[in-house]
Amino acid sequence: MTPFDTYPAGLLPAGSQDRTPMPSPLEIIDARKSFRTPEGGTMTALDGISLKLASAEFVTLLGPSGCGKTTLLRTISGFETLDAGEVLIDGSAVTQMPAHRRPVNTVFQRYALFGHMSVARNVGYALEIAGRDKREIRTRVGEMLELVGLAGMEKRSIQQLSGGQQQRVALARALAAKPKLLLLDEPLSALDKNLRQKMQQELKALQRELGIGFIFVTHDQEEALTMSDRIAVLAHGQIQQIGAPTELYQTPANLFTADFLGESNLLPVTVTSGRGCLPDGQSFATPHAPGEATLLLRPEALSVTPPDGHALSFTGTIRETYYTGTDHQIALETPAHGTMHALLRSGGALPCLGSEITLYAPAQGLHLIDEAAP
Amino acid sequence: MSLARRKLLQLVGLLGVPTVFLLIFFFGPLLIMLVYSFLTPGLYGGVDWIFSHLNYGRILGWADTRYEKFDPVYIAIFLRSLKLAALTVLASLAVCYPAAFWISRMRPGMRDFAIFLVTLPFFVSLIVRLFAWVLILRPTGFLNQGLMGLGLTGGPIEFLYTDFAVILGMTYVFIPFMFLPLYGSIEKLDMAQIEASSDLGATRFQTFRKVILPATLPGIVGGSIITFIPALGNFIVPSVLGGAKVLMIGNLIEQQFLSARNWPFGSALAMLVMSAVLVLLIAQFRLAKKEAQS
Ligand SMILES: Nc1ncnc2c1ncn2[C@@H]1O[C@H](COP(=O)(O)OP(=O)(O)OP(=O)(O)O)[C@@H](O)[C@H]1O
Ligand SMILES: [Mg+2]
Repeated sequence: MTPFDTYPAGLLPAGSQDRTPMPSPLEIIDARKSFRTPEGGTMTALDGISLKLASAEFVTLLGPSGCGKTTLLRTISGFETLDAGEVLIDGSAVTQMPAHRRPVNTVFQRYALFGHMSVARNVGYALEIAGRDKREIRTRVGEMLELVGLAGMEKRSIQQLSGGQQQRVALARALAAKPKLLLLDEPLSALDKNLRQKMQQELKALQRELGIGFIFVTHDQEEALTMSDRIAVLAHGQIQQIGAPTELYQTPANLFTADFLGESNLLPVTVTSGRGCLPDGQSFATPHAPGEATLLLRPEALSVTPPDGHALSFTGTIRETYYTGTDHQIALETPAHGTMHALLRSGGALPCLGSEITLYAPAQGLHLIDEAAP
Repeated sequence: MSLARRKLLQLVGLLGVPTVFLLIFFFGPLLIMLVYSFLTPGLYGGVDWIFSHLNYGRILGWADTRYEKFDPVYIAIFLRSLKLAALTVLASLAVCYPAAFWISRMRPGMRDFAIFLVTLPFFVSLIVRLFAWVLILRPTGFLNQGLMGLGLTGGPIEFLYTDFAVILGMTYVFIPFMFLPLYGSIEKLDMAQIEASSDLGATRFQTFRKVILPATLPGIVGGSIITFIPALGNFIVPSVLGGAKVLMIGNLIEQQFLSARNWPFGSALAMLVMSAVLVLLIAQFRLAKKEAQS
């Protein structure tokens, strides 16, 4: 509670009345875009996308290949014009503004560094273009290189850098102009796994430190889950669901999101008067509205030991096992539900191939999806 | 036999014959020209084997005998040739740069066809193509008839036998020379870099100056040199489109060999052209080396 909240309305101290909320760093309103295909048809890349950043968030656009992620990013940076809809950056419409005047910068998928320039000139490019003086540019380039962990690399040529270093230069170059919003199009896809994880953490930390919005494109769900404040799941040019990683993972709104994020067991359920009924006759209490629905059971929700209280049980034959170090991944063939996937903590009895076991899931707090199972 | 020796032998076997061939048929004639340029012309053509530096004296200013007399006209013609060749290079650049850009952005099928069109003139005799230009440019030609038909000019304009006609003709002839190296470097241009530049706040012009131009500079330099050299020594275009009025150094050399039959003087003039070309190539080489270092 701020001190002002105690003042009666109309008696607020001068200057405190206009407590207009900070403008959103990015707002997209009903964006539509289609392309003409060479075959003569049209291809809808963005089909009514609306998105609003609450604050300096880390938002990930996640979706399968061709779902319109890059297109959406390019309409924000100004390289694609919308057929309909609006883009607002920091509260002002930029829909008609050419790319070079928009206060956003991009880290391109294959970096797109200027090969004929040194690292320093690459990083200082935006400032050079803006006509800043040499001393200021040099200081800022030094700062930026320090920020991305490449201090002292000013004189290197781009060809003398490793993939990870090039990635950092691209990041420093995009951040040097102090953008209001940073766009990243699959910036980590060319890196090996270790470097990738390191960069994920660094990017996330950097975003917190800078306090600007990041729009991050990936089709790697794990990456999306670990890095994002919010994830927007895209498919067919539409946002399927947007929300915090835990929200999307635990309570997906539709089958696409459930399937796309993580492994899932999707079982058909018929709900009648407060009870959900599985095809094999098992039932559980649910607040869900009556009708056909789908039960989402994540593999890690299944266990070999029955939980306290009412539980669902699934008996079947182990068809496949994979040992990952911390877990055993199991494919269980059940007569009633087909193949189910489970993730069992290792340490217990080793499930052996071909044996019959029963897995349990607590019957409370189950998440139902409003669509009939496929 | 060691591997290194085997490699060496293979190399000699592979490159020996072409090397000897080049030495004899490429450097041989050059050497002959160099030697001839220091000899005395024979009375009825050919050469007398008596050393003379007066061939160069006639061009550069120290010859003062009855037959071998200094005349500033040679240097003037040489300078004019440099100018016309340079203007040809600029004109070809102005045509080829946008064209190469445009063609590199076409659909693959169209692109190959367009490149084929650029090289198409090679399939027709040069003389035939140049006489076609005479038909276009002469006082009663298509261009003048068109201009007069449109009422833009009262009478025919003298296009033929002017510097303009020669530059136009040479530009036309050397466009493929300029186009191909330019196209090579423009096609390799990374579109993502152009977008990155614009993303970082550069206007189209700034992007051109700071990203596109430096990235295509090798093509520009290569195309310019490969156009400049044959343009400088060209004698066919000026003799067809320049007539007696626009003489280039190539015509002068041709005359010395074919009509004046003064081979040593012709050789000296040819050496002048050679040295200009050498200076140019050395300058370009140094520039490229400096570029590679920085
Ligand atoms: N310039 C274009 N011309 C025609 N179609 C295009 C163009 N750009 C994109 N598309 C089409 O629009 C759709 C969305 O493309 P987009 O590049 O946004 O996908 P994406 O989600 O980024 O995919 P990926 O993960 O493979 O990068 C695709 O079907 C693509 O073929
Ligand atoms: Mg993409």
